[in-house]
Amino acid sequence: MGAKGGQKVILEPHRHKGVFVARGKEDLLVTKNISPGESVYGEKRISVQNSENPKEEINGDGPAPATTTEYRVWNPFRSKLAAAILGGVEDIYMKPGAKVLYLGAASGTSVSHVADIVGPTGVVYAVEFSHRSGRDLINMATRRTNVIPIVEDARHPLRYRMLVGMVDCIFADVAQPDQARIVGLNAHLYLKVGGGVVVSIKANCIDSTAAPEAVFAREVQKMREERIKPKEQLTLEPFERDHAVVCGVYQRSG
Amino acid sequence: MSVDYLLHESGVGYAVFKVTIQADTVGNRLKEVQEGSQDLAKFGKMVQLVSFAPFEGASQALQNANDISEGMCSNYLKGVIEMNIPKAAKKSKVSLGVSDKNLASSIKGSFPYIDLETGETSEVVADLLRGLRLHSGKLLKDLQEGDVERAQLGLGHAYSRSKVKFSVQKNDNHII
Repeated sequence: MGAKGGQKVILEPHRHKGVFVARGKEDLLVTKNISPGESVYGEKRISVQNSENPKEEINGDGPAPATTTEYRVWNPFRSKLAAAILGGVEDIYMKPGAKVLYLGAASGTSVSHVADIVGPTGVVYAVEFSHRSGRDLINMATRRTNVIPIVEDARHPLRYRMLVGMVDCIFADVAQPDQARIVGLNAHLYLKVGGGVVVSIKANCIDSTAAPEAVFAREVQKMREERIKPKEQLTLEPFERDHAVVCGVYQRSG
Repeated sequence: MSVDYLLHESGVGYAVFKVTIQADTVGNRLKEVQEGSQDLAKFGKMVQLVSFAPFEGASQALQNANDISEGMCSNYLKGVIEMNIPKAAKKSKVSLGVSDKNLASSIKGSFPYIDLETGETSEVVADLLRGLRLHSGKLLKDLQEGDVERAQLGLGHAYSRSKVKFSVQKNDNHII
């Protein structure tokens, strides 16, 4: 049942809607599996019985089996969004029912957790340019119908305009020197006014010669020029080195 | 520079809208103006659906999605434009707002009598097209709730599968 078979685990909702914390021997960040019975990338799963007084053993002729809810463990060392949540980010702008444009989806490991968060009423538009990663992304999306895979260059958002609607949040993990511009281009086309922007910045990918703090400050300034009002910035220590996540709100007026 | 018609491309089909209330370029960035296009009741008065041309099947949708992403004007789109945008007299040209400048030049090639505006040349057009995208599910009257998302899902898979050079059946094994 638990992460290590039979351990007692208590599930608690996290401050961010759609995210949960499994309290056992150690606390784990988890999301509710939208496709129960399957792991996406070999991550551990935790099943929790829904009924108030769980049956110890279910026999064939015993009472009807209680329904279980399955959660997937979200590793902060593998997902920058998970690292940001554990780092105490104020708002991720994603919640059940939200629409998210995910730039730099890679193989879709983090995307699968975002799909869990937004749930069956939400949509994740997952953009990835690499064909090899894109293939894995497509395969992941076949099991999760709230993920729309888009193998295309996020630098040219108009190319996928027939596949994308207006979104509540843009998450970007593209690790490109011009990523602020890429986020801006997408926001101008697809982000609702007042929608959230969450950008993961790897200092080395932008400018490997400058100090990370200087790089972050410059990126925040570039986001301002794209009409994104920065709200907070936090580093991803101890999970990643010289990484920061910057969150902001898109303002079209003014 | 005013815009008379707007072209909206989506996973379900093409739609041509007529702009009934011309927006003001000067006050475009005002908070009130921006909030107006958020509100369906207000935005619905600014544009009027002229025609909605749905795709007849997945293969047609994919073909058009590929053409659109390359900025080409497909025969189907040519038909839609020809049917719905009136040929104006010589002096006053009709202007059509589209999102992509490549598509704009393709359309211009086939329809010299239409003036084209893009989201890049005119912020008013960019805002109107944003409004169409935001409210498309409601403005296209034949559609049911969730139709747009379903079309996007099918088209997204088809489009991405056609892009990927590798066999999509195979899967990489992840090593953690």
